[in-house]
Amino acid sequence: MILVTGIKGGLAQRVAARLLGAGHDVVGVDYRKDLELASDISHIPVYQASYNKTAFEDVFRRHAFSTVLHLGRVGNLSETMGKRFDLNVLGSQKVMSLSAQHRVRTLVVLSTFHIYGADARNPTPISEEEPLRAGFEFPEIADAIQLDNMAWAWVYQHPEVRTTVLRPCNVIGPHIHNTMATFLRMSRVPYVAGFNPMTQFLHEDDLSGAILSAISGTGRGVFNVAGRDMVPWRTALEMCSVRGFPLPAALSRRLLSVVFHQPEYLVNFLKYPCIINDAAFRRTFGWRPLLTLDETLWTTVEDARKGVRRSEFG
Amino acid sequence: MLVDPDVAAAIDALPNHTNSYGYDAWGFNPNVAKRGYTFGKRIVFPYFRPEAFGLNNIPNGRVLIVGNHSGQLPFDGMIVALVCLLAAKQPRLVRAMVERWFPDVPYVSDLLWRCGAVLGDPINCRNLLLDDQSILVFPEGVRGSGKTWSHRYKLAPFGRGFMRLALQTDTPIVPCAIIGGEESIPSLFNVDFLARLLGVPYLPVPPHLPVAGLLAYLPLPVRFRIYFGKPIYESGRHDDEDAVIDERVSRVTSTIQDMIDDGLKNRRSIFR
Repeated sequence: MILVTGIKGGLAQRVAARLLGAGHDVVGVDYRKDLELASDISHIPVYQASYNKTAFEDVFRRHAFSTVLHLGRVGNLSETMGKRFDLNVLGSQKVMSLSAQHRVRTLVVLSTFHIYGADARNPTPISEEEPLRAGFEFPEIADAIQLDNMAWAWVYQHPEVRTTVLRPCNVIGPHIHNTMATFLRMSRVPYVAGFNPMTQFLHEDDLSGAILSAISGTGRGVFNVAGRDMVPWRTALEMCSVRGFPLPAALSRRLLSVVFHQPEYLVNFLKYPCIINDAAFRRTFGWRPLLTLDETLWTTVEDARKGVRRSEFG
Repeated sequence: MLVDPDVAAAIDALPNHTNSYGYDAWGFNPNVAKRGYTFGKRIVFPYFRPEAFGLNNIPNGRVLIVGNHSGQLPFDGMIVALVCLLAAKQPRLVRAMVERWFPDVPYVSDLLWRCGAVLGDPINCRNLLLDDQSILVFPEGVRGSGKTWSHRYKLAPFGRGFMRLALQTDTPIVPCAIIGGEESIPSLFNVDFLARLLGVPYLPVPPHLPVAGLLAYLPLPVRFRIYFGKPIYESGRHDDEDAVIDERVSRVTSTIQDMIDDGLKNRRSIFR
C-alpha cells in the first residue's frame, strides 16, 4: 500500500493513477479542503489532514504503508511563510518520522530545483553537490531548502527506509497548476529585457515515470530530474505560442510580484540560467524522459491557446 | 547579408554539441554565432587586422588556451576566438571564459553566451573540457584587462585554477601571447571610487580623455598579433599543495612572458 501526500495536486493524482494501473493500493492525503479527485482515482481512500498535526498520524495507524510518496510540498504562492514552514518543515519531519516508526520501506520526497537559485554565478550544469544559492537573495524560500536538507540528512540517518529525494526542474503539464505552468498559460508573458537564460522543463508524465522508477529501483540519495532538452526562455515562449513582452530588470521583481502575483525569486530564473544535471538519476534508476520539450510545453498550454499554434517546433 | 559564407562554413564544420533545438547547455547557438562571428569578420578583423602565428600548435581535442589579458575591453578574447575559427585550417570554436560580472550585463551577456562564451567558473570549465572542447582563459582576470600603461605587457600574477583543471582533466595548455591589446585603450590610471559606484571592476582614464571625451573609450586601430606556443603537457596531482601548483603556473607564466617579449621585439609598429 502506498501513501501519496498532496493528493489534491495534479502531479500526485497522475502518479496515483499510474500506481493504481500498476496494481498498487493507494491512499491519498492533503492538508487542503474540498478534495476532488479525477474520475480514474476517485475511489481511493483520501484524508484531509495537515502533515504537522496529530490527525495525520491516524492515517499511518489505519493503513500499513510499504511506500510513502511525499509529493505535498507547498509552493511559494499558495500560503504564508509561517504556514509553509509548518507544512513543509514540521510536516515533512513528521512524514519522515512516521515512515520510520511504521516500518515504511521506501520513501520518495519531492523537492525542487528552485533551491539552487538562479544566480549569476551558477555553473552549468548544476549537479546535486552544488550549494543551494536561492536563500542568499530570497530568504522566503528557506522552508524548501530546509525540507530538502532535512530529507538529505534523513537518507543517511535512517538507512532502514530507502529514501530518494527528487529535485525536478520546472514541472509542467496539462494537470499542473504551479507558478510556471500558470505563467506559461497567460496571454502575455513577460521576460526581463536583455536577458534570455537557458531553461529546462519536465512534463508531469515524465516526472510521474521518474517517481515510479524511484519506487521500483534500489538507489537512495538526492537526485536532480530534468527533461529532455533546454532552450532559452523566449524560445520556450515561442514554443508555447505566446507573445512575450520585455520588463526592465529594475522593475521586474516588483511588477512580477504585485501585478502578476508571482514569487519574487522567479525574477532571477528569467535572468540567469539554472540548468541541472540529472545524469546520476538516469544512471541509478535507468529512467529517461519520454516527451520532447516541444510536447512538454505544448500539452501544458494547448487548452489555454485553444489548440492554435503559431509555429511548429521540434 | 547577415551571415558571411566563410563564417557559416566554419561553424557548420564544427563538431555538433547542440541539442535538437540548436542550443547547448551554456546557450551556444550556431545560428546566432554565425551572425556574431560575421560581425567579427567584417568589423573587428578589418579594424584590428590580426595576425596569428602558430595556430597549428593547437592540438585536436580538449585544450586550454592560456593568454595574457589586456586592453580594458575584452577584444583580446574576441580576436583569439575569431582567428581560431576563421584562420585555422581546422576551424575551432574557442569558449572564452568571461568575468563574473558579465552575466549581469543585459543584451551583451546574452550575445556572448549565444556565440560560445561561458561564465568563468571552474565547474563550467571542467564540464567543457570533459566534453572535449577548447577553452580560452585569462588567469590574470580583471587584474590583467585593467592594467595601466606603466604595467603594459607585464603579466599580473596568474591564478592556480587553470593549472588544477588542466591536471584534473589531463588537458594540454597552449600558451598564447597577445600583442596589441595594451595599446588599444591605453589607461593612465583607474578611478576606483567611480568604478565601485558604477559597479564595474575598474574605470580606466585614457590620456586623450580630456580631448576626445567618451570617444577615448573607442579602441585605437592597433594591429593585434596572436602567438600560439607549443602545447604544454602537465601531469601530476591536481589537488597538490599551492606551492607545487605555483611552480607549474610560473613555468607557464614565464613561457608566455617570453613569447610576449619576443613578440614586442619583432613588432616594428603598433599600427602596421
